Amino acid sequence: MSVWNYVVTAQKPTSVTHSCVGNFTSPQELNLIVAKCTRIEIHLLTPQGLEAILDVPLYGRIATLELFRPHGEAQDLLFIATEGYKFCVLQWDSESSELITRAMGDVADRIGRQTDNGQIGIIDPDCRFIGLHLYDGLFKVIPFDNKGQLKEAYNIRLEELQVLDIKFLYGCAKPTIAVLYQDNKDARHVKTYEVSQKEKDFVEGPWSQNNLDNGADLLIPVPSPLCGVLIIGEETIVYCSANALKAIPIRSSITKAYGRVDVDGSRYLLGDHAGLIHLLVITHEKEKVTGLKMELLGETSIASTISYLDNAVVFIGSSYGDSQLIKLNMQPDASGSYVEIIEKYVNLGPIVDFCVVDLERQGQGQVVTCSGAYKDGSLRIVRNGIGINEQASVELPGIKGIWSLKSSIDDAFDTFLVVSFISETRILAMNIEDELEDTEIEGFLSQVQTLFCHDAVYNQLVQITSNSVRLVSSTTRQLRNKWDAPAGFTVNVATANASQVLLATGGGHLVYIEIGDGTLTEVKHAQLEYEVSCLDINPTGDNPNYSQLAAVGMWTDISVRIFVLPDLTLFTKEQLGGEIIPRSVLLCALEGISYLLCALGDGHLLNFQLDTSTGELRDRKKVSLGTQPITLRTFSSKSATHVFAASDRPSVIYSNNKKLIYSNVNLKEVSHMCPFNSGAFPDSLAIAREGELTIGTIDEIQKLHIRTIPIGEHARRICHQEQTRTFAICSLRNQPSAEESEMHFVRLLDDRDFEFLATYPLDAFEYGCSILSCSFTDDKNVYYCVGTSYVLPEENEPTKGRILVFVVEEGKLQLVAEKETKGSVYSLNAFNGKLLAAINQKIQLYKWTLRDDGTRELQSECGHHGHILALYVQTRGDFIVVGDLMKSISLLIYKHEEGAIEEIARDYNASWMTAVGILDDDTYLGADNCYNLFTVKRHSEAATDEERCRMEVVGEYHIGEFVNRFRHGSLVTRLPDSETSQIPTMIFGTVNGVIGVMASLPQEQYAFLEKLQTSMRKVIKGVGGLSHEQWRSFKNEKRSADARSFLDGDLIESFMDLSRRKMEEISKGMDVQVEELYKRVEELTRLH
Amino acid sequence: MWQAIQARETGRTPSNSFANRLKSRRISSLQLSNRKDFVSPHRGSVNSLQVDLTEGRYLLSGASDGSAAVFDTQRATDSEASSGLIAKHKCVFSVDKGHEHGHKFAVSSAVWYPIDTGLFVTGSFDHLIKVWDTNTAQAVVDFKMPGKVYRTAMSSLAMSHTLIAAGTEDVQVRLCDIASGAFSHTLSGHRDGVMSVEWSTSSEWVLYTGGCDGAIRFWDIRRAGCFRVLDQLVTQLGVRPPILKHTAVNSKVSAEKSSSGGKNRLKNQHGKHTGSQNMKGSSSTKASVEKSRQKRLHPGMLSTLDRATAHYGVVTGLKATNDGMYLLSAGSDSRIRLWDTQSGCNTLLNFETGRLQTSKAIQLATSDDPALVFVPCMKTVKAFGMWSGRTTLMFRGHYESVNTCCFNSTDQELYTSGADRQILVWSPGGSVEDEMVQNEEVTEDKDNWSD
Repeated sequence: MSVWNYVVTAQKPTSVTHSCVGNFTSPQELNLIVAKCTRIEIHLLTPQGLEAILDVPLYGRIATLELFRPHGEAQDLLFIATEGYKFCVLQWDSESSELITRAMGDVADRIGRQTDNGQIGIIDPDCRFIGLHLYDGLFKVIPFDNKGQLKEAYNIRLEELQVLDIKFLYGCAKPTIAVLYQDNKDARHVKTYEVSQKEKDFVEGPWSQNNLDNGADLLIPVPSPLCGVLIIGEETIVYCSANALKAIPIRSSITKAYGRVDVDGSRYLLGDHAGLIHLLVITHEKEKVTGLKMELLGETSIASTISYLDNAVVFIGSSYGDSQLIKLNMQPDASGSYVEIIEKYVNLGPIVDFCVVDLERQGQGQVVTCSGAYKDGSLRIVRNGIGINEQASVELPGIKGIWSLKSSIDDAFDTFLVVSFISETRILAMNIEDELEDTEIEGFLSQVQTLFCHDAVYNQLVQITSNSVRLVSSTTRQLRNKWDAPAGFTVNVATANASQVLLATGGGHLVYIEIGDGTLTEVKHAQLEYEVSCLDINPTGDNPNYSQLAAVGMWTDISVRIFVLPDLTLFTKEQLGGEIIPRSVLLCALEGISYLLCALGDGHLLNFQLDTSTGELRDRKKVSLGTQPITLRTFSSKSATHVFAASDRPSVIYSNNKKLIYSNVNLKEVSHMCPFNSGAFPDSLAIAREGELTIGTIDEIQKLHIRTIPIGEHARRICHQEQTRTFAICSLRNQPSAEESEMHFVRLLDDRDFEFLATYPLDAFEYGCSILSCSFTDDKNVYYCVGTSYVLPEENEPTKGRILVFVVEEGKLQLVAEKETKGSVYSLNAFNGKLLAAINQKIQLYKWTLRDDGTRELQSECGHHGHILALYVQTRGDFIVVGDLMKSISLLIYKHEEGAIEEIARDYNASWMTAVGILDDDTYLGADNCYNLFTVKRHSEAATDEERCRMEVVGEYHIGEFVNRFRHGSLVTRLPDSETSQIPTMIFGTVNGVIGVMASLPQEQYAFLEKLQTSMRKVIKGVGGLSHEQWRSFKNEKRSADARSFLDGDLIESFMDLSRRKMEEISKGMDVQVEELYKRVEELTRLH
Repeated sequence: MWQAIQARETGRTPSNSFANRLKSRRISSLQLSNRKDFVSPHRGSVNSLQVDLTEGRYLLSGASDGSAAVFDTQRATDSEASSGLIAKHKCVFSVDKGHEHGHKFAVSSAVWYPIDTGLFVTGSFDHLIKVWDTNTAQAVVDFKMPGKVYRTAMSSLAMSHTLIAAGTEDVQVRLCDIASGAFSHTLSGHRDGVMSVEWSTSSEWVLYTGGCDGAIRFWDIRRAGCFRVLDQLVTQLGVRPPILKHTAVNSKVSAEKSSSGGKNRLKNQHGKHTGSQNMKGSSSTKASVEKSRQKRLHPGMLSTLDRATAHYGVVTGLKATNDGMYLLSAGSDSRIRLWDTQSGCNTLLNFETGRLQTSKAIQLATSDDPALVFVPCMKTVKAFGMWSGRTTLMFRGHYESVNTCCFNSTDQELYTSGADRQILVWSPGGSVEDEMVQNEEVTEDKDNWSD
């Protein structure tokens, strides 16, 4: 049943691969365009910083991103080439704020072999040609005509087979390229060629330079008037042109990125592999180059791209750490650095490993990733939902309600916190030491339970108890007026705002009171047929103190009604259906849309769009938030209004793009909440839960939350141990000066504060390859097992490794056993109370045996051969799924009777694996080297031996991402009664920092969504005219095939962002109501 | 290895170059496999080998005893073999003289239908080409040829035709259409039998043929006649024709251009540069001038004028490189030549072949990473660097002369066969080590039990 899969991105790619700067959106505006592998972001440079204008997905992996300006154009055009040999030229349409495609095409060839060193795409500075180096030995030219339109492309044979870089030179009468290449003796040279348009061939260029630095792999063309080219090597930098040659030695470094500072090209920023940023200056007298100068500026993230924006502000795009916006100062700071980091942009990539844990033990998964590389390595805790950061808490059991009050209506801060208990009311206030202490408001009753409190106009406070409504002056704190419930009736529920009170007494009496200056006027009384269960008069209109509408939830007929104030005339009545009474109603306006929210006693929430003029309730939607009654309350954060739903699974409801999003809060059971904005705790919430009152601030309201634990070294493998509440990681630290450049460690971290608890250094040349927390048969301890490999410089294939078994004792790693292996231990799995290791070509099973002296050791039991390299192993029961380096997936079984491991089936395709997962007993998932996902299925019931031994490929899909790891789990809380809870999901992490979710859908749902996907392909056009169908079709070196059994969740969920007109178009094509479609898509969004 | 995997994990090494580097390392360690063995059912010299193009899994062989056989390269027939002994791969099935449709004489060529493994084609000295249904092992189509069939080929790219190109004793090359069961083309030009045929790897319409007359002809099957005859004396040094001189000093060239035109001009310039070629240079100029004129005049009439040869003697083997840019040829003059298919020039690469078989067609193979050419050199097979011509690997194992090499790029394995009736497997090294490890484990296990 796990054949029908739905793939969706929970975290978009974050690794920045390309960036460029130019006047793209208008001739006057300066834009930064950032490519994150499969996404393009367009930013506008403003005095306040970078402002995001557009973020769009591209149906391809970006290989080249260049801005250029053809003759006669006032602003720049964007040229994009993809790794799939498609290219497009995009233009900004300022009227619709959209990208329009000026030109597009396919530059794939039958001839030639794909370049090993990556595709090169360059544009002649005078816009005569686009040059592409895609295949060894071929240089493709796309000429521009006089009007700036592209003409037919042609290939020119290139003599150099190992091309490292090609750039167009400035200031040449004929378009000229400089080619940096390596000959077959591994020496590096630069040659120049003129491109002759007439001959469609090369003409010998003006100069060449032989025998360069062996590490030279980057060319920087220098603009006019200097012209020429800079050749960046590992030990030297050479300036070269037809009539000058200047070189300077540099400290050994590998330059990864450059950015030009001046238009005349006299200064450049160079970013190296260690994250150091240098300024390279070409000194010149007029047009004559006199020398080069290099100066260290400081340290940033390891740059993959550098874009100089303006006024010494530079964008550093990184694939290994967070991207940064930096400012280059004129004067160095105390540490001698000229670099000041202004802003950071989170990057999770490369995610080499991760684990799914439930640290708060609330049934919600969190992902802890090994992110970044080298010095920028970090652990990132990625979690769905919103965090409350606890600031203070007091033990106060039995809270029945809390409200915050101001000492005057104009006061910016709240002063009092009214806490109601079953038979008393306590008032807390902040004292001078910023502590909460008991205080009194004389006019309030403190010996009874408070039903509601609110600030009122004219510096008054209102308290509603079961017998009375009391109006108190907030300055004198004396009672000013009082309304008593009629004899024989008690107030059951009540609500108020600054100028109105609505309460209901037993017998269905609804009383409406208006607050004046020292007066309480009973304006209206209504008799309803049933008892009132909840009510609300939260103002949603223009007047923040007065509400035109009242919402009332009813017992018995289970309905919610809207009354018009002050007359209490019935506007609308909506039957809720079911047998559960509404327990809380709320009127609110989010992003300018009025909603009526109605929470039921069983944790369900209904929401309606409310037309405030007609009282009409539309777009009824029902979601399940928890299992206990919900209390709704609004609060604001960053000047936007949100709704807090307190229950056993507290949630925040907020609006994004005019749609409601439910995000859970990382707290267990919250009974009551009120906003509490005090001087000591600005923008905080007071939360009543589990016998205590907590004051805390709330995270930024967004879906995924990422917490960074920088560790300054490169974490490679991670695993969590529930019992000891620790994480263990295998990491490596680069040591620039020491004899051995890398040191490898096993480190133990606390899972709450992520502090290093202990470190076990590995031997010289020993790498940690795999890590596992497991326990063994007949041993109650839990252990960390670490598989290592001795990587000796002279060996191709490691022939020695170790399996280390640690136990955590008092927060320390204690080595209890070690076993030498004949190869590197690529993978470790717990297997039937034993340890299953993948060692080079072999799968080996170890048992945990007791020696005579009472110590334990690993003893090999049996093994299985027949792999090229068994890199990725997963187990389920007695089954072992092996992802081979280059021979796809094979399935092994452990036979207990014989004590042997045998192969029972395999996929005979030649997929180079990067990760494997087990979907169910018969279906397995693989990710390959060519960015595909595929599923294979075993036919255990097949008639012939041949069919039983062969796994059938049942699903294929191009994900366009390099997947490093699959893990079972979910980022969201699964409620037992919601529809999505039955859907098994897997999480994956990729090199570009994508966290994705793969869900196995029931077949009917899959079929429905497949139809929707097909319809959406017709309506949503890809950027640059690229086809979604082609993008998602499976492709490797040998073949390509349409995607099957996989759906693109990102495309399907973009339905919710479409305009109503487009939704209707799709709904018509599908013959399904828009509302129905919307509902089904919304359900899916709750998978992640 | 672990470092390479780490570099791939972090995105430092692009995944394709990771794969290429690894393949290249595996290929350079090719050695006679001690884990895999094909049990040859053939009782005669094995003349043809091909791995299927879709799965890269099934090996088809054709032999002089009139038999053809299919082997599974992945799965050993002997299940016991997985316990560490040499895995035996018996043929899945074979068709021989005993078969009701079997060939009467030697099978000279056996090729797979490129689209799937449902069909394969055999050509025989009994003048027949047969198309076989793999699943039933029955011949479904017969083509009667005018003489012994030396070589058959199908285009791996073809999307719009299902043509078998056949080189026979006859001077004409025939294209047999499986769809209709009839000849669709007869290509005239060669003046002797055609020993080798090869489809282009860049265009489904282009066919290369090598004849016993020493000529290699290029055909575009959409047009009449051949469009190019390779001349061993028209040369270029390196991977492409020389670069045009800088325009400032180009007046002489442009004057010459009016007489010879296009790319040919470059070649004779080159001829002048390369000393020893100087004498022949003039004749090549003439030939190419004639050729280009002829091309313009009447492509179909070319053969009467052009007597250019690619080899002295018989062209015994042709192999187009996977990138579609070059063609390798083997001749009875014991030479391997590498041709630039775009310019038609001989690249003057000197492959250290020693002696080659002269009387039979031989089958060459290439690999991409590193760029190697596998050539049967009498009893050995040599691998030459594509751009150095130097012998990088030498495979000794056959007892008689080797006829064919077939490289399986999915597994990086080389299959060779020869007159000794064997099909040998050469696989990447490292498995020896593996063997040792295993033996040790076995003894270790015994120790445990004996305790």
